[in-house]
Amino acid sequence: MICSKDIIYLDYAATTPVDDRVASVMCECMTKDGVFANPASRSHQLGRDAQGRVELARREVARLLGASHTEIVWTSGATESDNLALKGVAHAFRDRGRHIVTSRTEHKAVLDSARQMEREGFEVTFLVPEDQGRVTPEQVREALRDDTVLLSIMHVNNETGVISDVAAIGRLCRERNILFHVDAAQSAGKLPIDVDRMQVDLMSVSGHKVYGPKGIGALFVRSGTASRVEPIIHGGGHERGMRSGTLPTHQIVGMGEAFRLAGLEMAAETERLEGLRDRLWDGIRRLGGVLLNGHPEARIPGILNVSFEGVEGESLLFALRELAVSSGSACTSATREASYVLRALGRSDQLAQSSIRFSIGRYTTTADIDRAVEIVTEQVHRLRGLAPKAGDNSERQAS
Amino acid sequence: MDIIDYSPQVQERFERPVNAGRLLGRVVSGEAGDEASGTRVEFDFRLRGATVEQGAFRAYGCPHAIAAASWVAEQAHGRPLADTTWLDPLSLAALLEVPDHKLGVLLVVQDALESAASHARQTEE
Repeated sequence: MICSKDIIYLDYAATTPVDDRVASVMCECMTKDGVFANPASRSHQLGRDAQGRVELARREVARLLGASHTEIVWTSGATESDNLALKGVAHAFRDRGRHIVTSRTEHKAVLDSARQMEREGFEVTFLVPEDQGRVTPEQVREALRDDTVLLSIMHVNNETGVISDVAAIGRLCRERNILFHVDAAQSAGKLPIDVDRMQVDLMSVSGHKVYGPKGIGALFVRSGTASRVEPIIHGGGHERGMRSGTLPTHQIVGMGEAFRLAGLEMAAETERLEGLRDRLWDGIRRLGGVLLNGHPEARIPGILNVSFEGVEGESLLFALRELAVSSGSACTSATREASYVLRALGRSDQLAQSSIRFSIGRYTTTADIDRAVEIVTEQVHRLRGLAPKAGDNSERQAS
Repeated sequence: MDIIDYSPQVQERFERPVNAGRLLGRVVSGEAGDEASGTRVEFDFRLRGATVEQGAFRAYGCPHAIAAASWVAEQAHGRPLADTTWLDPLSLAALLEVPDHKLGVLLVVQDALESAASHARQTEE
């Protein structure tokens, strides 16, 4: 349980705390007695030691994705990975075509990169998910054209937790010789991934979603065609020229350890989180007027996104301030617009604004869930009690 | 959606709103706004002659809407319902520390009071 300032943390999809075991190995790579040297300094032993730690971590990340370590490029996080994938492929393959396909419910890192490519003369098709938040292979088949160079679809949606059928979509892309990028920031370490079976050419992952540090991520770039990706950051030719910049050894080592632990503990953790999520949903749905957002089955256990009828979103979020939860994506939290993901799923502005994303993780306990259900039940009842009711002629005495 | 800072008075009225609910018996009511737009406010007023003896509110909206409706229902006490000139949204915004971009919420509360006042005036006629 994380209970800081008497707040129960249920926002693991936004970020996770660094696991103590991860922090421990990171600390080995920072101070003067540790592995602090520049991994690019191969002229001395200290640099080669750092390089060794970086390469071990690279293997851990590759192992979790079913990739080769030679196909992993370190970045500053999934946002940079998404940028590199979209812009890098578009720039490298513009002679092949100028059409990109993605979906409206992608992370902003993909959507904004796609819009940038539009400004550079590319045409982008934004698919609207049909199957309760899932882009279907049929939709993709219809959208692909002879001049399509890239398809970018997220594995797991960050707001709803809905899982896309990446393998089926990957098959379509491979048949058409179209590069396939998957944003796996929310799925890596939580679902089994095999980039070969899924026929993925590029995959973005992040350290801080898996109990690793913030500021580190990676892009899987399949050997061969995809490795023509043009860099977006220049200066030194690190990472086989795809991403220049001194490698942050401590962060990389942390991400490697985080991915190693996630792989080891995934099966047991999945089962435990499914139990907690179902307990949370069973508790909340008793309120009535509670709608599950996203596909009822094809979703990861760590995310539960629900809309509350008859409750205004801002009041709901304030009433639930004992819980660290998210109203829509954390990345859109700075604005008051209704979640674009839930709007794309057909929810009204009102229901999209009264949605709450509960995301649970490694340190969530049964007691946390039970307390969360208590708080949600009490506050939703209270706010609904304050609100006017259509056609309500019953009389209740004002306090 | 970010949680903004609410003044102590807004927090207090949000947590423990005064005069929430409906009034029993013969009352004059007013309403404004709609849920789809994010704010709906309803008032009931019990009158002694033309003067408000008791006020009550229902509100669907942000904490500022709930607090403002609660404040108006309370402050209407002892005033003639037909006269709403005492309610100045800008002064109320200053009192409750409502940010500029939320002034529209206070206008819905004002409209609900005006609606009740209009009904009161029709009754008087």
